[in-house]
Amino acid sequence: MASAEPRPGRRRDEAKVFSIQHFCLHDGPGVRSLIFFKGCPLRCSWCQNPESWDTGPELAFKARLCIGCGTCRLVCSHGAIRVPAHPWRDPSRCRGCFTCAEKCPTGALSRFGEPVTVDGLVEEVRPEFPLYRSSGGGVTLSGGEPTLQPEFAAALAGRLRSYGVSVAVETCGLFDMDGSGAVRDLLNNVDLVLFDVKVYDEESFGRLCGGGGTGAGKAASRIRDNLMALADGLGSRRGPRVWPRLPLIPGMTDGRENLAAWAGFLRKAGFGGLTIVPYHALGESKRVWLGLDRGPALAAPAAEDVEAAAGIFRSVGIRVFSPGEEAWEAGTRAG
Amino acid sequence: MTSSSTPETSLPEPTRRIARIRAELFATPYSVCLERPELLARFRKSAEGRQARREHPLTRRARALAFVFSHRRPRVYSDELIVGNMTSRRIAANYYPEGGSVNILEDIFRLEKRRIPLELSAREKWRLAAVGLGGILGSVAGRALLRPGRIPYFLDFFRAKRYFITEEAGVAHQVVDYRTVVHEGLRKADDEAARRLDSGLMPGGLPLTADQRAFYESVRLTVAGIRDMAANLAAEAERLAAEPGTPAKRRAELAASAAACRRVPYEPARTFLEGLQACWLVHIGLNLEDFEQGLSFGRLDQILYPLYTRDIEEGRLTPELATEILASFCLKTCETMPLYSERIDQYFSGAGVAQGITLGGTDAEGLDVTNELSGLILDAYAMVRTREPALHVRVHAGTPKWFLDKAVAVVQLGCGKPSFFGDGAVVTALEEVGMSPAHARDYAVIGCVEMGSQGRTYNSSDAALFNLPLCLELALNGGRRFPNVPVETVGPDGRRRRRGLGLGGRWRRLGAATPPAKDLGTFEDVVEAFRTQVRHGVDDMAKVLGWLEEVYRVSRPTPVNSILTEGCLERGKDVTWGGALYDFTSIQAAGLADAGDSLLAIKRLVFDEQRFTLEELVSILKANFAGHEALRAELAARFPKYGNGHPEADRMTQIAADAFADAVTSHRNTRGGRYVPGFYSMTCHWGFGRMTGALPNGRPAGTRLSNGLSPADGADRRGPTAVLRSAASLDSRKWANCYALNLKFDSKAVQGGAGRAALASLFETFFDAGGMQVQANVLDAESLRAAQRDPSAHPGIVVRVAGYCAYFNDLQPAVQDEIIERTAHGVG
Repeated sequence: MASAEPRPGRRRDEAKVFSIQHFCLHDGPGVRSLIFFKGCPLRCSWCQNPESWDTGPELAFKARLCIGCGTCRLVCSHGAIRVPAHPWRDPSRCRGCFTCAEKCPTGALSRFGEPVTVDGLVEEVRPEFPLYRSSGGGVTLSGGEPTLQPEFAAALAGRLRSYGVSVAVETCGLFDMDGSGAVRDLLNNVDLVLFDVKVYDEESFGRLCGGGGTGAGKAASRIRDNLMALADGLGSRRGPRVWPRLPLIPGMTDGRENLAAWAGFLRKAGFGGLTIVPYHALGESKRVWLGLDRGPALAAPAAEDVEAAAGIFRSVGIRVFSPGEEAWEAGTRAG
Repeated sequence: MTSSSTPETSLPEPTRRIARIRAELFATPYSVCLERPELLARFRKSAEGRQARREHPLTRRARALAFVFSHRRPRVYSDELIVGNMTSRRIAANYYPEGGSVNILEDIFRLEKRRIPLELSAREKWRLAAVGLGGILGSVAGRALLRPGRIPYFLDFFRAKRYFITEEAGVAHQVVDYRTVVHEGLRKADDEAARRLDSGLMPGGLPLTADQRAFYESVRLTVAGIRDMAANLAAEAERLAAEPGTPAKRRAELAASAAACRRVPYEPARTFLEGLQACWLVHIGLNLEDFEQGLSFGRLDQILYPLYTRDIEEGRLTPELATEILASFCLKTCETMPLYSERIDQYFSGAGVAQGITLGGTDAEGLDVTNELSGLILDAYAMVRTREPALHVRVHAGTPKWFLDKAVAVVQLGCGKPSFFGDGAVVTALEEVGMSPAHARDYAVIGCVEMGSQGRTYNSSDAALFNLPLCLELALNGGRRFPNVPVETVGPDGRRRRRGLGLGGRWRRLGAATPPAKDLGTFEDVVEAFRTQVRHGVDDMAKVLGWLEEVYRVSRPTPVNSILTEGCLERGKDVTWGGALYDFTSIQAAGLADAGDSLLAIKRLVFDEQRFTLEELVSILKANFAGHEALRAELAARFPKYGNGHPEADRMTQIAADAFADAVTSHRNTRGGRYVPGFYSMTCHWGFGRMTGALPNGRPAGTRLSNGLSPADGADRRGPTAVLRSAASLDSRKWANCYALNLKFDSKAVQGGAGRAALASLFETFFDAGGMQVQANVLDAESLRAAQRDPSAHPGIVVRVAGYCAYFNDLQPAVQDEIIERTAHGVG
């Protein structure tokens, strides 16, 4: 289905967003709105937002909401839906028109990925401005990977900042800083970069996070280079604050070696603070909605595991925080 | 690993004493106290009682109450610093034969098996049955309604559909003048009454009327009774102090309590301890004369502050000791509970009494008066974390940050307290109903959310609750209820029952004779029919309230309340006669959002998109969407709803609210006071919901209605900021009895310093935008399990972690399990 949808061009005036959430407290300072961009170069096996992977819109099915009314079958002009049998959709016939999601009365069938404009997004978050002001918050561009739609993201960030709204961007770090210059534009247009640090070792990275198609095998080092470049201030004195965040995934990122390698790297890059984001399995629901294979069966790390990981970073002088509890002034300010 | 960017707001741990009292209370089963009705019966048979039958009804009442006060057995419990037993048991409901207590007889054969069990011996059950049955005819409802032509209104009490008249059980809901209690004592009223009686003249020189004479006599009798009660307690404390086994430290505490009770509440309090003790003794008096609901203390931080500072300056008190005394006071409020049968409990679940304490706010000029004591009362509550008292925090532009932070830290404890009030909107609404700015700014919260200018208001603030969506059902069906359909309902206890929606009002027309659906040709016609039905329902309800007011005036005046409400002593009038400076009857609506969303659904479906005729829609509703499940789902999931910052949906909710407010404010009570509207529903949205047919917003027949000013179940799809935006966008100037707006969070979502700062900002922003009231429930694992069992009962719980956030109900059961786990163990 998604393959039939024309891939969005890098249009400056339109982007695909799969969710906008307000009153978020864990992705940057204060109370923030999160704008989730669709599309990600990575396929981390623990991903909690698998609906962010594909750049195009996707159809999700929440079986719990389905009342078996058959509307979807009636409205599908391609005969792609067989209800109530599972699998509910025949991907070979689906043309990705989303008529079924538009007509589904319960919202059991829904579309992830709506085209949005800068104006539309600004109007969506505008009512939250007073709360940003009183809490020291703002907007965080998340995903997926916002740097995949850099012109749009930069334009959005520029507009928001013109209203005095602080903008953060969450990135997996796998982007081409030099290509069109658009990514550099974006990063110069935000106040804070929340930079994921996951798997240090190149081979493990490829296995756990994918990243094929953007120079497979080189992804991990590209990410490290990008982080180092950001830490050095992008060659600009007005660069954003950069803050690393490490998802602590049992058996994947929580190895001593991985953590120690990151600790050494971050110290070298001059970072004073790090957020550890412990794994949770919330993404499982979404995998089911999207008809994806189940993710790996993982348990959330125990408090003492989190503590042990934190210890490794503390031992090199990096302060460690929970999401939402960061002392932002502890990080480096590039430039 | 946590280190916070904001300095920690620390809350104290309970002291050993407080932990002991608390443990004892938690280990005590609930019971029913029959001392009060038995003393009343004893009084009637006594020589004094027989003689009193020939007296003015008010002096008779005052004598009866004084008899109860002076003859009840004093009990002083271990460890407590504030003394005075609320009932004859450690925790019990007082029994009010004059009020609605008789409803408990419905449960008489299964008192121990109730969800809230009551412990009574077999003998006590017999006594309960005897007292209960003996009191029916003499009860307020019995006197007012067991009369020709009024019986159907009496039966309404058992099958509340359009409204539930709480005032049948009592008025209570009061914040009396505790400032005078503490700083001048009851002596002030007693002296004034004595002067009137001696001179036989009112201050203007006119001779006392018989009523005025009776009033001043009632003041003197009542004050004497309260003094006796205090003296008996003092004697009991002295007796315990003298017992050989009593340790010296406890002996000193008991001696202090005894000395306090020998002095207050008659004389002015000299110390902080005496001040609180005085409040507590008067509070017992108020509980024994009316009924237990909503008797509130007002702005204790303001009232007690002068005593507190003087004690501190003179070295008698430390902030720590003051906090412990306050905590002991808070635990005293847990000694009482309401007496509801399980049937009534559907309407008022949770065994709440709501003894409110109001903190912070401004003086008469609008300047902030938050003080150290405001914070210590929050500390004291953090020690006890009990279902009582109710805590209320006033917020305005000058509210200090430390105080708001501390209040939010208490919210994070997960007890749903305190609730927050926006001074701006509240004061505006109170001025709108005639209060002077200075008096409006001295407002305190009555019970849960209602308001009065403390010590100046007689507000029957919970007089009745009104079922707003039922009026839409009636409007769509020419004044008749929809036909009965069997539905499966889930009660607040989570139990599922299959039952009908009740028969009343199906044979005969229940509402006004509005045109049948086929003649409602425009949306404006529908709104007009709805307004007519609301007016008709409110008119009916006001008629019944008028009958009750008449009975209160004659058979059940409340002298303790009158002594401490400005206006009564000056005029020689009991509050039930209209003596108070400000007098209101307040009616609350349940199901506001359901009504508003339904209006919008009708407008779109029938008039804008013309997908159905109104008649067709009505027949679908009558069948409870049978055969139209897809339409029901579409209405529920895809139509715009109040609570999402959607201007049209919010406007429809305003139309529904205006229909109610206009109908209510057009009435005056028989005391000359105004009727004022409010929007909260206790748990009436459950009880009413069971009587209400399917609604155009997709709500199935028999299910819960929306609650207070909260969005309909599952309708808030855009998170708490959108809910608050919708709420703040409504014009609340006419809503002088306030509203309740609940937000629910999973405890992990708003933990720590960041969560605290975020909630504080959220509330400030809401009040800046004109919000009136908000409370945040931070849910524990148990509540989340309940939500998992019955998703429809717990919509809108937002679960948040880094980079992810969703509604709890949307998640897979296994994921819900994980969140529950995470909440229960605090790992994250």
